[in-house]
Amino acid sequence: MKKNSLLFLAGVIIVLALGFLMPWLLRNPFYFFAGYVVLQYVTIATGWNILGGYAGYINFGAAGFFGAGVYLSAFLFTTFGLPLPLCILAAAIVGAILGVLMGYLTLRIQGVYFAIATLGLVVVLETIVHNISGLGGASGMAVYGPRPPAWSPGPSQYNFTVMVVIAVASVALARWVEISWIGRGLRAVRASEDAAECSGVPTLRLKLVACALSGAVLAAAGAPYPFYTSFVEPVTAFSLIIGLNAIAMPLIGGTRTWVGPVIGALLLASVQQIATVTISSELNILFVGAVLIAFVAFAPGGISDLFGRNKGRARP
Amino acid sequence: MKTRRQFHKLVAVTAAGLAAPAIFGSKVFAQDKPIRVGASVSLTGPLASTKNGQIGYELWRDDVNAAGGLLDRKVELVIYDDQSSAANVPAIYSKLVDVDACDVLFSPYGANLSAPVMPFIKQRDLFMIGMFGLAGNDVAKHDKFFHSGPWGPNSGRDWARGFFDLAKAQGVKKIAIINADLEFSKNAAKGGAEVAKEYGMEVVFNQSYPPNTSDFSSMIRNINAGDPEAIFIASYPADSTAIIRGVKEIGISDKVKLFGGAMIGPQYGALLGSLGPELNGLVNSHTFVPEPTMQTPAIKSFFDRYTPIAVKQGVDPLGFYIPPFYYVAGQLAAAAITGSKSVDPAKMAAFLHANAVDTIAGKIAFNEIGDWKERRVLMVQLRGIKGNDLEQFRNPGHQVILDPPSLKTGDLAAPYNKARAS
Repeated sequence: MKKNSLLFLAGVIIVLALGFLMPWLLRNPFYFFAGYVVLQYVTIATGWNILGGYAGYINFGAAGFFGAGVYLSAFLFTTFGLPLPLCILAAAIVGAILGVLMGYLTLRIQGVYFAIATLGLVVVLETIVHNISGLGGASGMAVYGPRPPAWSPGPSQYNFTVMVVIAVASVALARWVEISWIGRGLRAVRASEDAAECSGVPTLRLKLVACALSGAVLAAAGAPYPFYTSFVEPVTAFSLIIGLNAIAMPLIGGTRTWVGPVIGALLLASVQQIATVTISSELNILFVGAVLIAFVAFAPGGISDLFGRNKGRARP
Repeated sequence: MKTRRQFHKLVAVTAAGLAAPAIFGSKVFAQDKPIRVGASVSLTGPLASTKNGQIGYELWRDDVNAAGGLLDRKVELVIYDDQSSAANVPAIYSKLVDVDACDVLFSPYGANLSAPVMPFIKQRDLFMIGMFGLAGNDVAKHDKFFHSGPWGPNSGRDWARGFFDLAKAQGVKKIAIINADLEFSKNAAKGGAEVAKEYGMEVVFNQSYPPNTSDFSSMIRNINAGDPEAIFIASYPADSTAIIRGVKEIGISDKVKLFGGAMIGPQYGALLGSLGPELNGLVNSHTFVPEPTMQTPAIKSFFDRYTPIAVKQGVDPLGFYIPPFYYVAGQLAAAAITGSKSVDPAKMAAFLHANAVDTIAGKIAFNEIGDWKERRVLMVQLRGIKGNDLEQFRNPGHQVILDPPSLKTGDLAAPYNKARAS
């Protein structure tokens, strides 16, 4: 195993250990409510980046996958009483299938047309949910989650730990994609799809794989949400804010590596959580907008690229 | 140089001085510590039109503090913006409880935003006043939750029953129901259909429409084809406007005696001002109107102070629908605290379950799940509206109360077309 992989593995073990230990060390539940949202966005940003960052296909439909995961999990739990880990697994599988279906329908178009098509996915799924009374329709659906297991002190702490595991798994998946042949192929697609195709890169197959993996991660991010809010309704589950954050966070952090979305999500989601309970939300949104514009204008490669470049310059 | 005895005295005095705050001060500090009341308000997002409720909270806080506070402690409001998103609610309420140490909680506005907080307050056994969440406690059945809104028991089905009572009194046999495909309106239409069935009325047309629908001409024609005698509409502000204008354009059958029911919008100054005389004849739900049976010095004083603040803040200058009940929420909390002489959730809840409370919206008594024992949703008919001047709505006679009978200030003017033309 390479040194970088060993370091990554050590980081994974430390984060997972913290995820399981923190609920016993930190007594105030608020930090777990807020931490859950931050980790949820780490997962969403990471999932989005597999297609949007590595392959360069800007997907506005992140909320569609997230909402699908939310509703599938809520339905499976309330109807069949499935435990949360199985709900997450089911959401990831359905998200992957949805990703492949979306890919088949939309990947032959590029640029702004692809972005608009993915936005359509959100509207379609939200309309479907609105009209299924079994999912609560517009009225929403109450989800009273089960008691947390004995190894977790409370529901909010349990949701937090589950989200730590999902976030770590998503980041590990994204890193594997990045350093594997899939990542190399996707980078070729992003650089020049025609040139990649001419060089023998199976572009459509690679993009479909990226769609499936991205969809799986985004849907898995949504699976614990019903247990976090105890209530799901379509407007929030398919909120445009989720789609916008999914794009803004990797753009701010950097889209070329797995580190970028993690940094962007940790930074932006933390600021949003703090701003919600300190300054007004108008200023919060203004701040996000200003940061996004600043990064697009002055550091289009994001934070990870900014530091990477500076480090490179410093070398003799 | 001091003697050993003097030294001992010095040590004793110093120790007593150091210990004094811990011995005597804790009580003093506890009494000085304000009672914290926590809430989330939708200051931004799709529900931002409800933010004028915050003025109700603030007026209540100022009144209570001017009168010396509660249990000799000042009242402090801790309010966060939930951005109209249910996703923000769990973290906000955890902050209010676990970080800000609030003694009393007010829920977010409406059922969808309140739902996420219900399991939380039940698990933590907290005291909460609910803000306009229809049937908000019907699932959780938390015994320390109390509605400030006048929906009454079985509100999921019965809150608009007054409209059907009026229809029944008019001998209506055929009714049409339309609703926006959104939470509040969908529940209202579902409940309405059940009440219509209970009263033996035939629902000749029952259709929901997607949010953002702006052209209702084909729907109005289809309603006319069904030949109903009453039309129950559950809509949101934009569609309420489009429906009223569609009726003006297409026309409606002379057989229709009642039109309206659960239209959101005609309660607010913005819509009353923009539609003006086009609203004549409409029978719609409301929570407060300045009719003689509802006017009291207390509520008049509330609006005398609310209006200048609302004008300054650029929110609804009338504020009949929501703000008084935010003030009521404060009064309920105050009654629970002073009545039980405590901020203990169990004692406060026990007091409200056992005692009726006088508020600016009248006397309120609660059932076991915190609903008002008696439904007090108004069905008002808009009449005699001339021009678009908002001030006319502050005078009686323009929003005549038809139901409930205890507050009635006039009889239904029917049919709708005749009432509309007047």
